[in-house]
Parts: sequence; C-alpha cells; structure tokens
Amino acid sequence: MKDQLEDFIQKNRAGFDDKEPSEKVWKNIESSLTFASKNRWNAVVWWRAAAIIFMALSAYLLMPKQVTKSQTSELAASEFSDVEAFYVQQISEKVELIDGFQKNEGLNGFTQDFKQLEAMYMILKEEMKSTPSQKVKDALVLNLLVRINLLNQQLYKLDQEYGKKEKKDEEV
Amino acid sequence: MNSSSLDIHADLIARCRTGDRDAHYRIYKLYAKAMFNVGYRITRSEEDAEDVLQEAFISAFRSLDSYRGDATFGAWLKRIVVNKAINTLNKKKHESMLDDEHWDIAEAESQPEYREDLTIERIKQGIEKLPDGYRTVLSLYLLEGYDHQEIGEILGISESTSKSQLNRAKGKLKELLNA
Repeated sequence: MKDQLEDFIQKNRAGFDDKEPSEKVWKNIESSLTFASKNRWNAVVWWRAAAIIFMALSAYLLMPKQVTKSQTSELAASEFSDVEAFYVQQISEKVELIDGFQKNEGLNGFTQDFKQLEAMYMILKEEMKSTPSQKVKDALVLNLLVRINLLNQQLYKLDQEYGKKEKKDEEV
Repeated sequence: MNSSSLDIHADLIARCRTGDRDAHYRIYKLYAKAMFNVGYRITRSEEDAEDVLQEAFISAFRSLDSYRGDATFGAWLKRIVVNKAINTLNKKKHESMLDDEHWDIAEAESQPEYREDLTIERIKQGIEKLPDGYRTVLSLYLLEGYDHQEIGEILGISESTSKSQLNRAKGKLKELLNA
C-alpha cells in the first residue's frame, strides 16, 4: 500500500541525490591505497616478493627432519661447488657496481632483502655441508639466482635514475 | 536477478583487483555521488558523510576479494556506507537511535494527506528535521530501498519495530510538511 509520499519519492528518486562530495575524498582514498604502478619498476616489487617467498621456503628446508643420505646427495655436493663459484663471481661484480652508485644511501628495502637472502644462504650452506641433498642444493642455486635478479633490477633502476640526473644537469 | 545486471562493472572490478588505479577511480566516480547522499541522509552532516564515503570506499577496495558478486556491487557498497554512517551517527549520539519517545505521536495508519503540493526540496528539508531514529528508518525504507527485514538487520531491531518506526516517521514528516 503506497501513499502519496512514497509515490512521489519513487517518481522523483534521482532528485534526492543532489549533493556532491568534494575532491579531497578521492585524494584521501587514493593516498591510502596501494596501486600497481604501471612503469617497469613494478618488477622490483615482484622480485622482492619472490625473495620473501624464497626465504620462507629455505626456512622450511632447514627444519629438522629425518636425514636420508644418498648417493645423489654426494653428487649434488660436488656439482654445487662449480655452480656456486660461477654465480658468486657474478654477484660480487654486481654488488661492487651498485656500491659505487649508492655509497651515500643508507639501508633501503633492497639492501635489507639482499642481506637477508645472504644470511639465509650462509645457513643453507652449513646445511649443505652437514647433510647434502638435492633439495638443499636447489635452494642454494635458487637463492643465488634470486639475488642476481634483485641486483639486475637494482642496477637497472640506478641506471634510469642516473640517466635522469644527467639529463637534468644538461638542461641546467 | 539475472547475472548480466550483476556484472555491469565486473570488468572494472576485476581490474581493481589487479591494483589498476584508473579502474579504482572509475568505480569511485560511478558510485561516489549516490553513496555520498546515502551517507548524508543518515548523518545529516556533509563533513561526516565525506568521512563515511572515504572510509567506505577504502574498506570496500581493500576487501574486494570478499565481494563474491552475489549482490550488485552497488548494493554491496551501499551496505558498507549505511553501516559506517550509522556507526558515525551512534558515536555522536545527539539523540540515541530509536529513542524518540519525546517525538512520539499517534501511529498514523491512515493515508497522510498533504496540504500543499509535495516538492523534492520540501521533503528533503522535512526529512532533515526528523530525529535520528525516524530519519534513518524512513531514509532506508523510502530512499535506499531496503525492506523492513533488512532495516531490522541493519539497525538491530525487529521487523515490527521498523514498521512502526516508519509509520511514526511518516506521521511526523507529514506534521512538518503541513506546518
């Protein structure tokens, strides 16, 4: 049973939404949300996420469990030393480059991740010594690869920033 | 309801889930004005309504994963706005909700008649003058389109209380419009 009032409101419903919120509302919403940035640097976020997942995986591997030494473990240990030498060389070259770039910068998200990965690596390596296995070897190699990728991303970023600075200097 | 009407903005919402800033802005633009008015009618303050709008959008965007598409996005968002607005109102407690004894008038079951022609402006002014409890029930029912069962859930009252509050609110509004 509708009365005159209900009827009128229903027919003129749109007229009751006449107020407009101010612009600041969207600005506040925007600033409290995190969006995926469209530029390439989103890749850094992904690699940092990968680094964190990887650290968690390593921690899982290190949890005490029944030791099953096998022949493949011995093989894994000897293979690993070659692979390690190769990647460690790459990493130290890149680290040197980056250090040159950002001497004056303090600890940032990147260096924190990197240091954590490094620490995790040392622990994994101890594990490799005491109970070598294919799994631990894979984790070690993955750790090296993730670190190389983080370094590559960081180098690219620094390169971009450096490029911008140079351009600005030229303009001045 | 068929699924096509539920999915009008499904594409935009999917893009929001990937963190697309532009999609967020477009959803905001589509719903902000209507939602601001919903909040205003309950809080009766533009400042509070803006706070409500802001909080509602932020929590909606942050919990998009819990939006399963079983109601329209607009209905889902409106419910968030209504809840936040009622919380704001309760915090302020100019008058406590539904404690409108001093406004009590005989329940007018008869069809109210209005001496002058109804206009949007007069009705809006009349609604604004209603005490919080009446205004909330009347707005939720007549303007936001909730039924008594839903209003009962939202306000934590029984269906019959919602019905009698609406009748009283209508009676009071008629009084104000005929004054």
